[in-house]
Parts: sequence; structure tokens; C-alpha cells
Amino acid sequence: MQIVTTGVAGTMESSDIMVRIEPSEHEGIELTLESAVMQQFGKQIERVIKDTLKELGVASAVVNAVDKGALDCTIAARVSAAAYRAAKRTDYVWNGGVNK
Amino acid sequence: MFYVESGSPLTGTRLERVRRFISERGLSMGDDADFTAYIECDGEIAAAGSLCKNVLKYIAVDESLQGEGAAASIVSALVAEAYSRGLKHLFIFTKPENEPLFGSLGFYTMAKTDDVLMMENLRGGIDKYLDSLERGAGGVVGAAVVNCNPFTNGHLYLIEQASAQCDTLHIFVLSEDKSRFDANTRFELVKKGVAHIKNALVHKSEDYLISSATFPTYFLKETADAERINADLDIILFAERIAKRLGITRRFVGTEPYCPVTRAYNGRLKAILPRYGIELIEIERIDGISASRVRELMDEKRLDEIKKLVPETTYECIAKMI
Repeated sequence: MQIVTTGVAGTMESSDIMVRIEPSEHEGIELTLESAVMQQFGKQIERVIKDTLKELGVASAVVNAVDKGALDCTIAARVSAAAYRAAKRTDYVWNGGVNK
Repeated sequence: MFYVESGSPLTGTRLERVRRFISERGLSMGDDADFTAYIECDGEIAAAGSLCKNVLKYIAVDESLQGEGAAASIVSALVAEAYSRGLKHLFIFTKPENEPLFGSLGFYTMAKTDDVLMMENLRGGIDKYLDSLERGAGGVVGAAVVNCNPFTNGHLYLIEQASAQCDTLHIFVLSEDKSRFDANTRFELVKKGVAHIKNALVHKSEDYLISSATFPTYFLKETADAERINADLDIILFAERIAKRLGITRRFVGTEPYCPVTRAYNGRLKAILPRYGIELIEIERIDGISASRVRELMDEKRLDEIKKLVPETTYECIAKMI
């Protein structure tokens, strides 16, 4: 999946995560994460974000995430929504995509 | 979780109610809000915030709602709106005690003093900008911040004078696109116009110098005070971050006989910069040459008059435009 513009999903409200995905000039995922539970779950959140992008086939992107204690499924859903928006794709396949 | 109402821009009674809510909390809301989000509780406004171009302003939460995540809901709505408008680089200017709050909402500190906190939504944004600037040979380092709309012989004179008084001269060309000549054209004309000055480095100011972002007034209680600190934020950011990083000890300005805003700005530079060990040097401007005169002559299509006032490179550009 090619990131062509800025895509945003989610909010900074409790139990949610706001994810912004932008095109990058380099290969790889450049992730900036801010989390209310960084000490406890920082690594886990990063992993969910990166795994979700990998499954979507996003190889290059600048990702900024502000987490307010979102569950993994919420994180995956927000990342996925932001990626589809950033790729200007609307062909999302329910139940066939990220969590298959 | 709150239900956030909004207006783009907010108008009429709803705007008046938000305005009253904000002023009751000691902030004064200007007419510059492009987008306003608010939360109502039992028919009363309980939280509100606005987006003014790329700056989040006039944010307040009623005491009864504090600690409930109302600020997060408001800021989320403002940030989402900014992104949907294609604005990526966002700023907040607030009181230092708000650092933990906005720090938890994706904003990072650019500069902080006893009175003011400046934040942006990019981690290390200003550091990346500073790292990207060419440093030059060092020695005595000076700076000039210019709009050059367009670059004239007057600007050239100022830069020649300034460059003679330092070993390295950093010239920052305003990146704000509010002038007749767009930011890129202005930048290119300065760059070409000073190419022969070996110790001059030309940079884009981006959002960090004299931009619409660096002039907020919202957290100020009195208008008179607002005018003062208005320019101060810009100057403090320059002194605290840009000058410190580049080792700038001299800032050059042209004397300003006409524009009261520029004159007031120069006055504030003179008052603040010495605290940071930076000297303000005013260079007497050449009579009769000004960018505004050049623009008037453009309207009258008097190319041969323009030729006397601007360098060859600027002249060529104008000749193509009219």
C-alpha cells in the first residue's frame, strides 16, 4: 500500500489513539509514539502499529501516534483507517483485512 | 467521552456564548478563529477551543469538567480539523503550567520561559529545522530577518552593510505566503541577489520566525499587554533557540520611518535581545527605495522606474510578471 497523502484516524480521548500517517522519503516506518501508558505498554503499542502496517503492505511512512490507553484492537483499527485514508484507498475489505 | 459541537467558523449566538465563556476565564478571544469546537453541559458551555490557521487558541475548560478529558476532546477535534484542512504543522502558545496537559496531547516544547510556553506538534521539529541550516564559517555571527517583497537595492544595501559587520550573516526570508511575491520567488530573488556576498547564507524562516504562528494574543488579559508580548514570543523563540544554536550575537534591521508595527517590533528587539547577549544594529535605510514603491510602480507598469530600484535579477522577474 502506497502512502500518498496525510491520513488521520482516532482521537486523543481516553481509551483511544490518534494516528497520523504521512508519506516518507525513506524506506521503512518512522514512528513517533506518545502514550499515557508508555512505561507499561510502549513496546507492545509500537509492535501493533508496525505489524498492522506490515499486513497492509505499507513499507514507507512517517507515523505519529498519540495513545490514551487504547486496546490492541483499537490501535489496529485506527492505524488501518489512517493508512487507507493516507493511501486514498476506499476498497477496504471487512473481515478480510488486518485481523484475518 | 463528550459530544463536541463545532462551527467552521462558529457564528451568531453560539460564537457569542463561547466568547463569553472564554472571557469569563480571563482570556480574550479575537476574531481570528477559523474553527471552534465546544462542549455543552446542562445547557451551558463547559469547554471550548479554536483553530486560527495553524495555531490552537482560546482553549478553556470549566472547573467542573477538569480532569474528565474535556480538553482532550476539544484538542482532538481541533487537530482533526487542522489535518483535514491540510495544515500539518500546528502550534500552541500557552502558560508554562500547561506543559503536562498539552504534552500528553501530542505537542512538544519548542521554548519555555517564566511566562510562556511554545509548543509544536512535531517531536524535535525546531531541532530538525536548526540542524538543516547551513552554519557557515562562524566567527562573529549576525542575522537579518527579511520579507523582501520583492528584493530591492535597499535590501541589498542593508545586507551589504550587515555582512561587512560580521564573519557570517544568516539571512532568513519569511516563508509566510501573504505577500504579492510568493515565498519561493522572494527566497530565490534574495538568494540570487546576494550570491556575490560570500559570507551571507540565505534560509527560509519556515514557521519559526515572524510567521502567523508566532504572534498569538489569546492568553493575555489586557490588550496593551498583548501588544507587548505579541512580538515578544517571536523574539524569544529567535533568541532562545535560533540565535543560541547558530551563535548569533548581532541582529540587523533597517531603520523604520513609516510602519508603526515594524517600528514597535524593532523596539521590542532592542529591549529583549540584549538579555540574551545579542546586539541590535539599526542600519539607516536609503531614502526613496522601498518594496512598496516597487509594487506601486508595478501597478503603473513603469518598468524603467523599477529598473533603478532593484537588482537585475529582481528586474528580470518583474518584467516577466507585468
